[in-house]
Amino acid sequence: MQNAAQQPSGLSTAPLSEGEGRARPRSRRAPLLGRRTRAVLGLIALSILTFHFILPILWMTSASFQASDKMFKLTTEWIPSVWHPENFPNALSRAAFPTYFFNSGVVSIAVMASNVVFCTLAGYGLAKFRFPGDKLVLLAILSTLMLPLEVTLVPTFLVIHKFGWMNTYQGVAGPLLIDAFGIFLMRQSILSIPTDYIEAARIDGAGELRILGQIIVPQCIPALAVLAVLSFRDSWDQFLWPLTVISKDSMRTFPLGLVQFGEDYGNPPTEQMAIAVLATLPVFILFIVLQRWVNRGFGLSGLK
Amino acid sequence: MTTAAVPRSRRRTSWLISYRRRIQLWGVGFVLPTLLFLAVFKYGPMLWAIELSFHTYDMVSTPRYSGLANYRALMDDPVFRETLLNTIVYITGSTVLTTLVGLGLALAINTGIPGARHCMTLMFLTNLMPIIAVCLVWRFLLHPFGLVNQMLAPLGVGRVDWLTSSWASMPAIIVVTVWRFAPYFMVVFLAALLALPRDYYEAAELEGAGPLQRFWNITLPLLAPTMFFVVVVSALLSARIFLMPYIITGGGPGNATRVLSMLIYETGFSYMKMGQAAAISVILFSIMFVFTVLQMRLFSRHEQVFG
Repeated sequence: MQNAAQQPSGLSTAPLSEGEGRARPRSRRAPLLGRRTRAVLGLIALSILTFHFILPILWMTSASFQASDKMFKLTTEWIPSVWHPENFPNALSRAAFPTYFFNSGVVSIAVMASNVVFCTLAGYGLAKFRFPGDKLVLLAILSTLMLPLEVTLVPTFLVIHKFGWMNTYQGVAGPLLIDAFGIFLMRQSILSIPTDYIEAARIDGAGELRILGQIIVPQCIPALAVLAVLSFRDSWDQFLWPLTVISKDSMRTFPLGLVQFGEDYGNPPTEQMAIAVLATLPVFILFIVLQRWVNRGFGLSGLK
Repeated sequence: MTTAAVPRSRRRTSWLISYRRRIQLWGVGFVLPTLLFLAVFKYGPMLWAIELSFHTYDMVSTPRYSGLANYRALMDDPVFRETLLNTIVYITGSTVLTTLVGLGLALAINTGIPGARHCMTLMFLTNLMPIIAVCLVWRFLLHPFGLVNQMLAPLGVGRVDWLTSSWASMPAIIVVTVWRFAPYFMVVFLAALLALPRDYYEAAELEGAGPLQRFWNITLPLLAPTMFFVVVVSALLSARIFLMPYIITGGGPGNATRVLSMLIYETGFSYMKMGQAAAISVILFSIMFVFTVLQMRLFSRHEQVFG
């Protein structure tokens, strides 16, 4: 349990073990209020904070079921008096949204898979292997954090154009396939695996790929889950890059479709919110599904 | 590292290369795909951008060398100067606020209140929302008749034109940015807080240190590497922001919220001035580079964050 929580990069969405490692001081002076009262008050304060923080999501969901004319009149009508679930099929039919979502899905799954594989390989290579120039390579890879697509937009566009990859899945997914941040994440995670395991396995005659698959990967499942969610989300979010390489409507990803739909129809709020809700679901579902894996990953430990 | 140092029993299949060397090669092999990828999609393009910035290119005719003309044109352009200023203001504001809010949220969750974990998960979920959805929602919330003004009304704040006023639009974008990014850093800070050793705190309590003293003298210094990470990453994230100003204010009244990434896109793809767009890209990269180096200087005592 403690291993994952102690990653300096700290990206585990691990369940907090509430008694352990918490920096909360136990005051020796007699507190003003009893512990229970403080806990309740604290929970109330925290709940209010959380509620206000997630307000936009709640508003989005509520608005997606409203009738259009209510949008700016509603003050506290959070639960719509009249539900309009037809906003959803209506919105979907206004443009080729099913196609857009499919395109986004293909690209995002490819990007997620590629990142999971290659960031792990590179992270492992950088964490546990010493070869001439390894520090330089690490620095070089991390410095690409300063070279996001927004900065390399024009030349990357020209590169994709030269490859003939305009309006293709590979064109949209290409520059996203390996992200330096993912490498950083995996490297941090693999660094904490004791090298003894690996050396012992080598002495026992295990091949490098077997070590990778049977020792390294199981021990960084939490980080892999985080990487999967974040890389999927980053690809799912992409707007500027697809905007640059896609001109055919059939290849559009949903953010482009959503913005275009807004411009075409004068931004109908309720239907835009309906699409927004639908767009949010896949990432949420992925997160919820992978959260269980993160938990299961904690069960694995031991010297084998 | 000669083969003489390795017992015969260790030399299995590859008798041409030594055991050590073989392992080294595996290491290189693991990293190689990434290096090739980065050469094609990061280093190559960046070098090309630098070269392009000294040319005039519109994708139709061949690139024409033009020296520093692009850069000179940018310096003379008031839109560019305003955009540059906006970007720097935006990066600074977002980074500082995101770090503070992220830290604040983490401290709030770390108080051991039952159910705090669920609050953390809920707030983290907002970080997973697609950015386009975030932008569209906030565009409605920030509308003069939208929720933000409605909630501010009882506090006596008049109706603010968040989207169309020249002074409020940039802060509005910054607020949306902080809302979007802070939960992620909350989780980062939280993991770091959980890993802090308790001994220091217990010793401090015995010495009679109050909570504020404990925070200032123990927590903050121990969090320095994490702070460095958070500041650097949030600065890099805000430097590349495009969608929020593009969707929420469209560049703001006039150019009040126009940022460099928007200018790059417009110059390159609306005006087809690829050379000039490349020049802006080089400038944006330089800003990110300078910010990062400055932060490394600031946190130079804590180099082991990349250890």
